[in-house]
Amino acid sequence: MLSRVKRDTTGTIAALDPADEADLIARCRADERAAQDELYHRFRRQVAGNLYRVLGDRGDLDDLVQEVFVIAFRGLERFRGDARLSTWIYRICVNVALGKIRTRKRRPAAIGMADLDTAVMDPSLTERPETPAQSLQRRQDQERVYRAMDTLAPKKRIVLYLHEIEGLDLKEIAYLVDSNPVTVRTRLFYARKEFYKALEGAADGDP
Amino acid sequence: MGHVAPHKWADAWRGKLSESEVAAMDRHAETCARCAKARDRITRTSSVTFAAIKNAPVPEVSWDSVRAKVHWEVSSAKRSARQRAIRPTRAAWLGVAACAAAGIGLLVATGGTDVPAPPTPAQPAPLAHAEPVHAPAAPAPLAGMVSLVSGEVMIDGVRRTDLFDRALGTGTVIATADGRIDVQFGDHSAFALGPRSKLELRRFDATEVRLVVDGTIDVEVAPRAAGQRFLVEAGAQTIEVRGTQFRVVHDTNGTRVACRHGLVAVRDHAGEALVGAAKKVDVTSAVDATKVATLSDAELAQLAEATPVTTPLWIDDLAHRSSILELATSTHRDARVDGVEVGPAPLRVRVMPGRHTIETADASGRFHRAGWVDAQAAEPARLEVATPEPTAPASPTPSIAARKRELATGIAANRPKLGRCTRAAAKSGIEDLSVQIEISVDATGAVRFLNVDSDLTSVTQACIHDALAQIQFGPGPAATWHERIDL
Repeated sequence: MLSRVKRDTTGTIAALDPADEADLIARCRADERAAQDELYHRFRRQVAGNLYRVLGDRGDLDDLVQEVFVIAFRGLERFRGDARLSTWIYRICVNVALGKIRTRKRRPAAIGMADLDTAVMDPSLTERPETPAQSLQRRQDQERVYRAMDTLAPKKRIVLYLHEIEGLDLKEIAYLVDSNPVTVRTRLFYARKEFYKALEGAADGDP
Repeated sequence: MGHVAPHKWADAWRGKLSESEVAAMDRHAETCARCAKARDRITRTSSVTFAAIKNAPVPEVSWDSVRAKVHWEVSSAKRSARQRAIRPTRAAWLGVAACAAAGIGLLVATGGTDVPAPPTPAQPAPLAHAEPVHAPAAPAPLAGMVSLVSGEVMIDGVRRTDLFDRALGTGTVIATADGRIDVQFGDHSAFALGPRSKLELRRFDATEVRLVVDGTIDVEVAPRAAGQRFLVEAGAQTIEVRGTQFRVVHDTNGTRVACRHGLVAVRDHAGEALVGAAKKVDVTSAVDATKVATLSDAELAQLAEATPVTTPLWIDDLAHRSSILELATSTHRDARVDGVEVGPAPLRVRVMPGRHTIETADASGRFHRAGWVDAQAAEPARLEVATPEPTAPASPTPSIAARKRELATGIAANRPKLGRCTRAAAKSGIEDLSVQIEISVDATGAVRFLNVDSDLTSVTQACIHDALAQIQFGPGPAATWHERIDL
């Protein structure tokens, strides 16, 4: 039930302990609407944030969030509990994002200016408010990053994102992309080379 | 040393390289503008840009809409799966067909010339070539949440204590004794079931709402999307709407439909009558379009007062984000919550968290502040309203001439506002508009109370009250007086 959702003092939903998580999963499997609502409310922001950061734009975000949860609710029967629920949902996000990257017919600038306007810098990262020049610089840097990532093959792109931006280790990435750590390491090696080369090329192209 | 591979700069920033290696790269960058630029760019990207991306705020998504679609898709898939499990498979049909054909063949082969003709054998065979039939997916169910209860109400024949926690759906039957129940089922969409009435939610989903009523129901419906139907069945009559506020009364005398705004269609076997804004139709035996009549001001005001209570927000976990406020009174008295009339107390009403001001009416119908209450999400709130001591009616005080002059000056200054309040009535051809006011001003010039009385609609009256309340009085003698104001 929603009343069981625990919130910490910052207003965010606190993490579930394993027993509560198992209980929530069991209730969801029993088609309990309140439990499904709770699962949705717990993870919706995490899912949207993951997809948004991986893809770099908010186009189709509603549809992708929906897809993730549909897969999650349908797949709960097969969830074995060998990872935390949040990790399992993250894995679904990664796969949905991978599918989206693969099916993109054309490749617009990965992050549009409208999106960048809303991607406000975390205040903790800057002691002083950004000046307009700094803001423009940051937006251009982000755009370059996503443009460079767009040059990579989808599998390489995901691995690079998870390692370089999310800071995950090889084992975690291997679980998320359903591969083994050795393959991930190889993929990451080439992905980094290609990405930073593309980034350098983007720098060369600057006025 | 040749040019530095770009990813080496990222490695250097992450501390994966030895100090000597980094020093050699830096030395090269001092003489190579290209590598220096790459170093700066990649270092900034690794240190700032990646962090900015990682900490980017989560964009807002239409959370409720997404949730509804997820529920719809998941439940549809489960229903389809169940139906598939019940339906015989194609292979099974092929088996039946094959067995039937073999049986007939055997009969013919055994020379049974006098065997009667088999009754259309192997009918299932064509099914082997037919496209599988998929049942149309069921529309998403709606959930009605109770927003107000007063008096005795039964759900599915039981007096429930958890009325506000239940989501009402298809098949629910609501019955009232002397009470009233308001149920919200969307943004600005709600119905109020009046006393001694019974309502069945015969269909209650995204594509169709079909309510079967016996008694009085007041409905307010937000404009429906294409493909969405909203029907009220009252005896032999069906009332269909797109987006409107209306009342249906069905009893032994027939069916009466009154529409406050919007348009409703009243149909039965005899025909159809369109009832527009401020119109009504009485149906005794059969619908007659010529019987559509105009509502009087009093009837319109009555409809306005019967507007179902809704919460300002319609959210999917409303039950846990709102509070149930109980107004306890020893006698039946009209009550207002935050200035909105909610009907006669005692009652329980759904409110959003926060502070709420409660007013109750005295014997003469004038509202007085009864107190305030702080409501918290998912926790009930209660205000016990004490019975007021009978007070002597306020009598006009002497030395009010100065105050009356101030009022007259203020009214003159506020004429345009008052004109806006009475424009609708004036357009309807009502002339010689006036209101009776009772006002009390203290020595500092503060208005202690202001009551406006008239035959005008409550909306107009409230507008006039607001306009008069803006009049400023200076310090002077305290005064209380009655006055008629021509508008």
